Formats: sequence, C-alpha cells, structure tokens
Amino acid sequence: MSDSKAASLGIYWRTWAVLLVLTTIMFFLDTLDMPRGLFVGVMLVAMMTKATLIGGIFMHLAKESMDLIVTVVVCVMGFGLLLFGLTVVDAARIHDMLQGIFVR
Amino acid sequence: MTTTYAESRWMGGACPFEAGWKKVMMWVFIIGDALLFAGFLTGYGYGRTMSADWPQAGEVFNLGLIGLMTFVLISSSATMAAAVATVSSDRAKAARFVWMTVVGGLVFLGLQAYEWSHLIGAGGRPWENPWGAALFGSYFFLITGFHGTHVLIGVLINVATAIRTRKGVTSAENVEMAGLYWHFVDLVWVFIFTLFYLI
Repeated sequence: MSDSKAASLGIYWRTWAVLLVLTTIMFFLDTLDMPRGLFVGVMLVAMMTKATLIGGIFMHLAKESMDLIVTVVVCVMGFGLLLFGLTVVDAARIHDMLQGIFVR
Repeated sequence: MTTTYAESRWMGGACPFEAGWKKVMMWVFIIGDALLFAGFLTGYGYGRTMSADWPQAGEVFNLGLIGLMTFVLISSSATMAAAVATVSSDRAKAARFVWMTVVGGLVFLGLQAYEWSHLIGAGGRPWENPWGAALFGSYFFLITGFHGTHVLIGVLINVATAIRTRKGVTSAENVEMAGLYWHFVDLVWVFIFTLFYLI
C-alpha cells in the first residue's frame, strides 16, 4: 500500500525536478550573449513546456476528458494569441514610427 | 440519472465534461482569470514594443531573488499536488503538505514585499522610474501586484483547506479545487517570470 502511494507521488516530484531544471537552464541562457531572436524563441518554448507540465500533471488536465482539455486549451491559447496578435501589429507600427522620429 | 457520459457529450446533459460541477466551474474561472493576465501581459507587450527606452531587466531586478521566488513557488505547487494525491488515503499527511504549501506562499510574498520595497526605495513608481520608460513601472506594479494578490488569496484558501482537511470536514474534491487554484497561480508566475523578467 505504502509502495503504491509512494509511486503515485513520484510523478509529482519528478515534474518538480524537471521544472527546476528548465528554470535553471533559462537562467543560464540569460547569462549568455545569444542572438535576440533565438533567445526569445528558446525562452518561449521553455515557458510553454513548463506551462504544459504544470497544467497537464499538477492540474491533472492530461487525465481529463478531451472535451475539457480542448475547451481550456482553445479558450486560453486561442483567445490569448488573438489578443496578442491583434495588438502586436499596431505596436510594431508605432515602434517603427518612433524609430523614424529618433533617426531624424 | 440514466444518461451516460458519452450520450450527454456537448448536449447539455448532466455531465458534459465527464467531471464534477466544481471542477468544471473551477476551470471556467481559471480560463477567465488566465485571459485577464493575458490581457495584462499583452498590454505590457504593447507598451514595451512601442517604447524606445524600455529598461534592461538585468539592470533593474535582482535576478537571484527572482530565481529564489520561482523556486519557492514551484516547490509549493509540488507539495500541493502531493496533498491532492494523498488526501483520500491519509488526511493528516495531506494537511501537512497543504501547510508546507502555505509556508511556500508566505515566503514568496515576503520575498516579493522585499523586492517591491527595494524598487520603491530606488525611486520606482507606477507612474515614473529612474530606469527608463514610465510604462515599465506601471506594468511592473500592475502585473506583479495582481499576481501577488492571487498568491495572498491562495494562502488564505490553503490555510482554511489545511485546517478543514485535518479536522476531516472538507472533501477530497475541495482539496483538489484549492490545488487547481494554487497551480494556476504558479502557472501565471511561469509566464510573468519569462515574459517580464527574462525576455
């Protein structure tokens, strides 16, 4: 009994360890002089990996029905990206406009 | 009561998500709250992209302190997951795990209070700061303040959950709901930590 209980907790300690390792790698990469685009890309991948681990294992989303998984992922990621996608174009336009002013 | 899960899927039956109403409502809340933070972080991205003098995170923040805060919050999330996993078999043990989570939350809040007082002492305000774009202070205090408030509320929920778990007056399902909220707070920090402090 206690063996199966210990085994059922093991997945959480392993997830915890992976999350800490990912965080440490992110800190290490931050100290390097990487190209900006590559750095941002790697950070975003690491961030999404951590989010998936927390959502999937700690929050048990991986064990829920596909209906609930799709609802949560589509609502949060879909609307979140839509929100960001619709504003980033305008932000970039203003950024270029200001650059033009500073260059002059 | 004869409706099976499979028949009721997406048809407004008794249990369309094959989960209890508490869990479904908790996820609806989490979706809404996640989009609130998505709005804040998008606003931050907008403000930062169009600001020419956004401060370098490494020059403003003590990243060692941020690393410690991240470590504490991830660890408290792991102990909460352990509490949810043990509550049906050993309530006393589960209550101890929830208390460990409470301690983690309090340490996180203490470190954040230290960070805030340090930055405020250096002249950081929501409307101005000595490091660059004024919006930097606005988004910093808005986003970390909202997240810190979530942590504080989570600590209060977890204190109640720990006491009620020890007394045996709360269900295992309720402990799982408290856990969902706490993991969500940790999840939001993953995004803030990456997007605000590192990138």
